[in-house]
Amino acid sequence: MSTLVRASELAQRIVVTYAGEDVAQIKDVVYAANGGQIGAFTLAGRGLFAGPLKVGLPWAAVVGIGQDAVIIESEDVLVPLAELFDATDGPVSSGKADILKSEVLTDAGTALGRVSDVIIGIGDTQGGQADVVGYQIDPAETLGRGKLPLLIPLPDTLSASGEHLMVPAAAANYLSDNLAGFGSAIDAFRSQLGGAS
Amino acid sequence: MLFSEAVGRKVVSTGNASTVGHIGSLVIDPAVGKVVALSLKKTPVTGTLLPWSDITAFGVDAVTVAGEHLIVAEEGHFAELNGKAHTILKKRILTTAGLQIGIVRDVDFDPADGTILGILTDDQPVDGRSLLGVGSYAVVVKV
Repeated sequence: MSTLVRASELAQRIVVTYAGEDVAQIKDVVYAANGGQIGAFTLAGRGLFAGPLKVGLPWAAVVGIGQDAVIIESEDVLVPLAELFDATDGPVSSGKADILKSEVLTDAGTALGRVSDVIIGIGDTQGGQADVVGYQIDPAETLGRGKLPLLIPLPDTLSASGEHLMVPAAAANYLSDNLAGFGSAIDAFRSQLGGAS
Repeated sequence: MLFSEAVGRKVVSTGNASTVGHIGSLVIDPAVGKVVALSLKKTPVTGTLLPWSDITAFGVDAVTVAGEHLIVAEEGHFAELNGKAHTILKKRILTTAGLQIGIVRDVDFDPADGTILGILTDDQPVDGRSLLGVGSYAVVVKV
């Protein structure tokens, strides 16, 4: 399994070129149309008074993404935002803003809680995909799991509207409270779904 | 040889046997992975830069050069590489995986042709061949 990170941790991360220049920092994550993968990043300038940039960073151009920086080959890989949104088919939203705070419902109709963050699994190699593998939720009281945030695994594909996020009822069995054990929970959950269908 | 050992070494002209300066810093071009010039201090002429190709020998006790006329003014490509943004010492090192692996403490180079052999950090040294770029923010190395 790949590395797991919270989407909120990616924000502020510095974008550095091969030449060693810090050209930008991550502002927000743009999910691909189906919501299951990262499509691109929007960027903000570096420095105290720098605002959002008019260029974005498509996921395909990212060479490496680590704790300290996001590495790209050069500034040339950045594309204008308009182009970025045109390139992906279907309506693309700055998914994070839409997904956050929305309610997670199982297909059995139980509310699990509200999304407080998105968990992303990042592949090891360049060109690998960055999959949305789970949500961090503030659990609903009825769940009886206390108030601490819980992690909920997602199937490969998911349906999301601005309002509700649907997950299979079985996801409730794989709730986890830390990232360390979450990787295996996702694998177990996805293999169970695969076996059932 | 380490940068820290090379800095301060005197540069002597083989033409008239006089000292024409001391090494102030070494100018690296990450594109070729080599030291491409020496930036000199206390030169008798107005220029301060000695391109690596004009050095007669990089010896243990001194660097020899045919004459002080080979010392050129700092301009163009060299000036850019010698700028503050491109100095390598004390800069953070990032891998292409986006991890910071330390700070550049010293650089090991081959006195014969200027090739960067290694980058010394507080922990493991980094192979000089993996050097990709030296910029205002960081030194980037391949993993």
